[in-house]
Amino acid sequence: MGVLTPLITAFDLPFMARALLVLVVLSLVAGLVGVLVNLRGLEFISDGLTHAVFPGVAIGFVWGGRDGLFVGAMVAALIAAVVLTVIVKRAVTSDAAIAIVFTAMFSVGIIVVSRETNYVGQLDALLFGRLLTVGPAEVNQTVVVCLIALVMVGFTLKEQVFLAFDREGTAAAGYRPLLLDIVLNVAIALVVVAASSAVGNLLVLAVLIVPGAVARLLTNRLWLLFPVAAGFATLAAWVGLTLGYEASVNGGVDLPSGATVVLVLVAGYVLALVVRLALERIRGPRRHRSTIPVEH
Amino acid sequence: MIENTSQVTPTANVAAALRVATASFAYGADPTLTGIDFTVLPGQAVALIGPNGSGKSTLLKGVLGLITRTSGTVEVLGQWPAPAGYIGYVPQTDQLDPHFPVSLEQVVMMGRYRSLGWWRMPTKADRRAVSEALETVSLGDRAKTRFGELSGGQQQRGLLARAVASAPRLLLLDEPFNGLDQVNRDALIETVKRLKRQGVAVLVSTHDLDLARAVCECVLLLNGAQVAFGPRDAVLTLANVQQAFGSAGVEMDEHTIVVPGHGGH
Repeated sequence: MGVLTPLITAFDLPFMARALLVLVVLSLVAGLVGVLVNLRGLEFISDGLTHAVFPGVAIGFVWGGRDGLFVGAMVAALIAAVVLTVIVKRAVTSDAAIAIVFTAMFSVGIIVVSRETNYVGQLDALLFGRLLTVGPAEVNQTVVVCLIALVMVGFTLKEQVFLAFDREGTAAAGYRPLLLDIVLNVAIALVVVAASSAVGNLLVLAVLIVPGAVARLLTNRLWLLFPVAAGFATLAAWVGLTLGYEASVNGGVDLPSGATVVLVLVAGYVLALVVRLALERIRGPRRHRSTIPVEH
Repeated sequence: MIENTSQVTPTANVAAALRVATASFAYGADPTLTGIDFTVLPGQAVALIGPNGSGKSTLLKGVLGLITRTSGTVEVLGQWPAPAGYIGYVPQTDQLDPHFPVSLEQVVMMGRYRSLGWWRMPTKADRRAVSEALETVSLGDRAKTRFGELSGGQQQRGLLARAVASAPRLLLLDEPFNGLDQVNRDALIETVKRLKRQGVAVLVSTHDLDLARAVCECVLLLNGAQVAFGPRDAVLTLANVQQAFGSAGVEMDEHTIVVPGHGGH
């Protein structure tokens, strides 16, 4: 096994096992939700949600420590998901409005945290996560939150895909698109909450967006997107966590685990992109025929 | 013939698949389309004709309940909101993302989702309905093709197959002839005729008088408001068409309404 041995042995340590469990559950769910984010083009809204959750995390933390952090994040996420859905529905000045509201909320979060005495350390933990100090109680919280998001998205999956493809078509078929929007946005918000405590608020977006984007590069088959995204995210989490551990323990380089996982995700994306471009070059421009449909 | 007669009020016209009475529709605060008053009977087709921006799509969206109705009534088989699954809608294909990773048969299957219900996977019967719908529009051999790789005409027929698969009572088509060649036009007309024979009511917006002549008994002329409604040949007079298209230079020939500066269609 040689170099692959750490992929197993590193997780003999309880804190590493907990970190892996949190990341695997998170990756599976973020992968599924991330495909819908990609198909709907909701990257910007997801970014908005991560900004909006931050003040909730910060206020919750100042009030009640790490338990409060979780409650604060949940409250902020649910409010933001519903408000965001309605703002986008109204679509008066959507992009600018979202950007202004949510960066303002992010600033509020920073101001709240800065009133704490050990400001820098706390801010660091909130922004970048503390994967390796996740306790058993937090593992339970993360798993439960992810499961709720999984059920919400799983229960409405084919309808969400229908909505992503043809919004008016879903309305014509008798669905209520706004309701489906709220279900998806709340699921995204739940993933943001679960991921914030693990990989940190700043890195959530990568967990949510990269696996879906990788799946889109690797396959054009609709129902394959979901297992590919979830599988890729899980693999990246496992490799990233091991890499961070090995570098820190045996390599003498202190790699923060959350950021390492995100870098592995991004490296995977670059690899998928290169493979896709190479394949297209080999197969010729056939795949691009869709841009100039031929009538027959 | 009508299943839901018990739920219909005595004053309602029980025979109508779609009844719109003195209705106005709006995107924002101001009504964009006013004075709409017409019915579509089962097995009948009505053409919506008017210049660009005259409210054809607005009216279709109003019937779908996608935009606000500021006055009047809309009833689909005597009910509002329309019961789920009663309406089949064929949007313009240019509103859809050509890169969306979905195959033609998956698009057609979307027409079965509503009757399928939440969480449930398609059954054998659903797959049969999908392949039958694809045969109806002569696209059985393209089932596995990615939707965006199909030609515009094939996409249009695919969306029609999706509506067929949902077994609607009222079919709404938004400019279905846009960008279609003659082969695709004929295929589309045949399918619509077949649905009419099965008792489906059809409301179709079009620039094309060929389509109106081929399948529509009645015409609704629009120009921000209803100009005229009635039997096709009674409505499509030069005077009515000139009023709708707002130009004294407008001409009509066998196939099209020719508007100066619009180049025919």
